[in-house]
Amino acid sequence: MRDLVALALDAAQTAGARYADARVVETRQQTISVRTGRVEGIENAESLGIGVRVIADGAWGFAATSEITPDGIRAAAHEAVALARAAASTLLAPVRLADVGAYTDTWTGPCETDPFSISLDDKLALLLAADEAMRAEEAVRISSSAMDFLHVKKLFGSTEGSMIEQSYFESQAGITAYSLGGGEMLPRSYPNSHGGQAVQGGWEAILALDLAGNAPRVGEQAAALLSAAPCPAEMTTVIIDSSQVALQVHESIGHPTELDRVLGDEAAFAGTSWVGLTDLGALRYGSEHVSVTADATIPGSLGAFGYDDEGVPAQRDYLIRDGILTGFQSSRESALEIGRTSNGCMRADGWNRQPLVRMTTVSLEPGSWTLPDLIADTERGIYFETNNSWSIDDRRLNFQFACEIGWEITNGKLGRMIKNPNYTGITPEFWGSCDAVGNRDHWQVWGIPNCGKGEPMQVAHVAHGAAPARFTNVRVGVGR
Amino acid sequence: MRLSAEEALALATRAVGLTAADEAEAVVTSGSAALTRFAGNRIHQNVAERDTRLTLRAALGTRTGVASTNLLDEEALARCASAAVEAARHAPEDPGFPGLPAGESGVLAGRDTAGVTVFDASRRAEAAAAIIAPASAAGLVAAGTVSQSLYSLAVANSRGVARATSSGDVRATVLTMGASGGSGWASWLGASTAGFDPAAMGARAADTAARSAEPETLDPGTYTVVLAPEAVSDILEFMGWLGFGAKPLSEEGSFLAGRIGEQLVDPRITISDDALAPKTIGLGIDFEGQLRQRVPLIEAGVARGVVTDSYFAAKLGLPNTGHALPAPNPYGPLALNLKMGAGDTTEADMIASVERGVYVTRFHYVNVEEPMKLVLTGMTRDGTFMIENGQLTRPLKNLRFTQGILDAFSHLGAIGAERVLVGPGEGGATLVPALLLDRWEFTGQTG
Repeated sequence: MRDLVALALDAAQTAGARYADARVVETRQQTISVRTGRVEGIENAESLGIGVRVIADGAWGFAATSEITPDGIRAAAHEAVALARAAASTLLAPVRLADVGAYTDTWTGPCETDPFSISLDDKLALLLAADEAMRAEEAVRISSSAMDFLHVKKLFGSTEGSMIEQSYFESQAGITAYSLGGGEMLPRSYPNSHGGQAVQGGWEAILALDLAGNAPRVGEQAAALLSAAPCPAEMTTVIIDSSQVALQVHESIGHPTELDRVLGDEAAFAGTSWVGLTDLGALRYGSEHVSVTADATIPGSLGAFGYDDEGVPAQRDYLIRDGILTGFQSSRESALEIGRTSNGCMRADGWNRQPLVRMTTVSLEPGSWTLPDLIADTERGIYFETNNSWSIDDRRLNFQFACEIGWEITNGKLGRMIKNPNYTGITPEFWGSCDAVGNRDHWQVWGIPNCGKGEPMQVAHVAHGAAPARFTNVRVGVGR
Repeated sequence: MRLSAEEALALATRAVGLTAADEAEAVVTSGSAALTRFAGNRIHQNVAERDTRLTLRAALGTRTGVASTNLLDEEALARCASAAVEAARHAPEDPGFPGLPAGESGVLAGRDTAGVTVFDASRRAEAAAAIIAPASAAGLVAAGTVSQSLYSLAVANSRGVARATSSGDVRATVLTMGASGGSGWASWLGASTAGFDPAAMGARAADTAARSAEPETLDPGTYTVVLAPEAVSDILEFMGWLGFGAKPLSEEGSFLAGRIGEQLVDPRITISDDALAPKTIGLGIDFEGQLRQRVPLIEAGVARGVVTDSYFAAKLGLPNTGHALPAPNPYGPLALNLKMGAGDTTEADMIASVERGVYVTRFHYVNVEEPMKLVLTGMTRDGTFMIENGQLTRPLKNLRFTQGILDAFSHLGAIGAERVLVGPGEGGATLVPALLLDRWEFTGQTG
């Protein structure tokens, strides 16, 4: 494959590219899904292709092909140069890139047991056991469980002299019970909604989840939700579990601190940002309890790698420190706009997509509280667990999240169960009201393998470390 | 390399023969796509891709497995066939599996794609420049896309199905922004460049951006709304996903569960799925090689049915309407070409009839709050205006809604006569009019 990457770079330069990089990406994926006692699908998929990115006449061009032959690769390189030249017709200024070193390296993600070496029988037995256990409750009319495994091998080369090989496994699993009654369908998931937990790792990560052991509780809570109290409509204190804090970080901190959004390059689809370039180092994003990092070096997280998809080494960088905005997630091109070097956030969804600024592992740094102490310290409020719905505006200011389940907090104790709890807010007011964050014992990295951005659409696998956190004066029960 | 419909069908037919199973199905998707993306009044991304993918479904009795690959050499095809059979061998029996559907053979005449093919990189760059020009001249900033897609779909199975077709589309979008908080939007989607006027699109977005500068606040509450077609499209897509497919109906987890034949919404509302309507870009066959049928979903406000594939048609005792997705999929059959019946009112007349209300150009990040009640939440975007005494007056800051859609569609004021094709393209799009709705709950606002 190194020869083919070199061929792509040579063809691009011969055609007139000032800069070129090429990525060969090979993937193998297995998906198994079970729903209400039926195996809905077993699928094995493989994919191989190359993407060639160039700067020619001062503009970007990118072409990708699954035709992995010398002719196919040369054609892609030539098309990339032609696309760059067409783009140059509207150029306002030539593309410039922040400096990066030339690296020849390999990087491998952690994996104890290759998940593709485990038999389908073992995987199905685990899912079917969890599926059946959830339906022990009569009110649980739909049960869903799934596993997904991915093996990625990438080779990146650039005309600046880098040649980087990377490989990693991802493993994901989760279960959801749906109770039906009274015109409502109420989900309850473990360990998280929207497919469960996803990590870089192997079969050991699936076993650690103990899906079958947790399934009875999931079923019981789904059934109990049918008779739970509705969410009150009021302003109150909320405590949010770590998985929902992770999504809150994703939507209201991760996306608005992507530098391409700040610069307007994603305006038409994903939107812009409420944060501006001049806010760097000055904007109070949240309370002093809010510190947020972008860290591609956390082993086992979906945001981890050795190098991003333009060959920049993985880094840990503060985006917010003690509530003040201190950084953006950047690329080589966008970092130069703020006089910095890239902090390594360029990632592509496969061989057929041009890299974009994407989250790595963007985390709310842990505080000092235990969850029991946090609840005991709260006179009145609601404790939210597990995301059910999310929505936020195009500048990432006005959000509304619904969770699967909640509990009233009265005089420092959890009380009645609440169904369909939701809350809404405005980003800086909400993070400004954060008065407590859970400690490292409660801090967990959650994988989010479905982050959409870009045109054509790209789906990134990102992660967020988070602990339960408390927020005051939050509006809950919207439209309830 | 993009395969023609005939070439894709030849590959699918050969792959079926390689699969040592009781029954086998091969789906080949092959396409090329190119997208020119602009922001800050210049093209900043210009991308193209070509790919061909084979998906094989193998059945051993009632046990099924699937494998797919984009490697097309003999060794890879054999590996794919073997993986599908191996998956089926480990799958439990599925008593509900009716067998692969039978059908006919032949290449369907695809849509004429000559008008797509000519939309090459230089013409896309010219179109982008034409869209940008009105914004640039007015001191505004434009961002958006111009793109073309060409694709072939072929399906063959061991029960005689051998169908293929091809199509293509041209799409463009523009968001134009001003320094004082205004923004405007325009889009185009069609089966060719015929009727595509990039300069007019750019001018429309720039005009809206200029008119929506210095937006004001509005207290949350219940308002009459005029939803432009792009906003209606968002709502319809969620209806399709949550309720117009057979799977949620069979699980009794949708807003249609137990309500077929019931008056659901205002009698002036009719919704169908119609991939073959002249103005749409749908494909003539589904991913099981079945001919797509026009399916009435809501007729005169009455719930009429859902779209099916072979599995759910057999399960529910309904006809197969030809709406299968590639196997396996977690959604079941989906209505990808929804169409709302046109009314007899212009958007201008709708606005003129409103004493006090809100005009919505489009929504952003809509999501589901309560699926069985069809409660959705989302934000307005790129041109939200106050309507006062029959006229658009003040621009408004973006508003959040949290609204039950069946309730909103039961308080219908009027339906627009003109319908617009909106969507992501590549076979999926909605054909929608503007709507005047008497009650719409805005629950928050971006300050």
